[in-house]
Amino acid sequence: MDIEKAASRREEEEPIVQRPKLDKGKGKAHVFAPPMNYNRIMDKHKQEKVSAAGWKRGVAIFDFVLRLIAAITAMAAAAKMATTEETLPFFTQFLQFQAEYTDLPTMSSFVIVNSIVGGYLTLSLPFSIVCILRPLAVPPRLFLIICDTAMMGLTMMAASASAAIVYLAHNGNSSSNWLPVCQQFGDFCQGTSGAVVASFIAATLLMFLVILSAFALKRST
Amino acid sequence: MKTGQAEIVETSKGIQKSGLMSRRIAILEFILRIVAFFNTIGSAILMGTTHETLPFFTQFIRFQAEYNDLPALTFFVVANAVVSGYLILSLTLAFVHIVKRKTQNTRILLIVLDVAMLGLLAAGASSAAAIVYLAHNGNNKTNWFAICQQFNSFCERISGSLIGSFIAVFLFILLILLSAIALSRRH
Repeated sequence: MDIEKAASRREEEEPIVQRPKLDKGKGKAHVFAPPMNYNRIMDKHKQEKVSAAGWKRGVAIFDFVLRLIAAITAMAAAAKMATTEETLPFFTQFLQFQAEYTDLPTMSSFVIVNSIVGGYLTLSLPFSIVCILRPLAVPPRLFLIICDTAMMGLTMMAASASAAIVYLAHNGNSSSNWLPVCQQFGDFCQGTSGAVVASFIAATLLMFLVILSAFALKRST
Repeated sequence: MKTGQAEIVETSKGIQKSGLMSRRIAILEFILRIVAFFNTIGSAILMGTTHETLPFFTQFIRFQAEYNDLPALTFFVVANAVVSGYLILSLTLAFVHIVKRKTQNTRILLIVLDVAMLGLLAAGASSAAAIVYLAHNGNNKTNWFAICQQFNSFCERISGSLIGSFIAVFLFILLILLSAIALSRRH
């Protein structure tokens, strides 16, 4: 009777880990007995796992949707920048005033980086689907968080380098005698500014993806 | 009840071994944070103290170059200063991670802040890099002249301060990676 009362009192506490009893010099194998509330612990773990799988699956679905939007945004930014070109209506006999993205090496790197990131995000959609189907699996999520962090840094770099150039084209700089180009090439400036904004949106979405993966990696035990 | 479930009980040595890996990750994170702090504050100071005056001048204009003249470089200095301040403040949290055992929620907070700071640092570093590239090479189509041909030491200093910032960006990516690995472990 006393033993049963003691067992029911200990059910609410943490699992009991029994220290192994040392049998000195008798040559018997050490037999470890499981803790007395073993069944209750395993039931509690199973319940926690089921509830964790529920919200982790929701997080994975949201992750998939955000990844799709970010892929479309990144590729749209690359396409917009690559197709923006403007030819001024006046020309001399030897020169024609043209502006396109290859004139500025920063813009070329912007197009390259954004297409790489758009391609990566599209190729990582199957990994995201695997995370939906197996919400408690750690390796696909770990792979996604590592690659997403690297791609986020890359996107942010390309977007802000192009933003610096676009700002310079809009405003110029008096100390270094750099004239604002946008006063002549209005459409080109508008197109490039739109592409830079789209790239910043893709970078922000990638940030959210990393944070979501971090939440989903959390183990409840 | 006695023999088949012998593997459930973890010996004290087993728990200590897997806790040791998390502790090693936390110590490595702490060290990386210190290195990144020195990189960012070095970059900020190096860029912030650039000042070059050319030896010739006309009667009305004096040819000077400072980091204030280019807004991208100002943003670089501000971003590096903010990130170095954040790194100092997050050293305390990183130290707590070394000592304490159950660190999941604070690690998530640290990952969120690290991602934001990585974005800021990458933006500052690469916008300054674009302007420095332009200062070195100029651009024919837009008629932007390469100012490095006149301001030599100014150009050298601003180019050198970019290196520390890019190293810090790489260290931040490593930090987020380590935090994610530590978060996903069982202990």
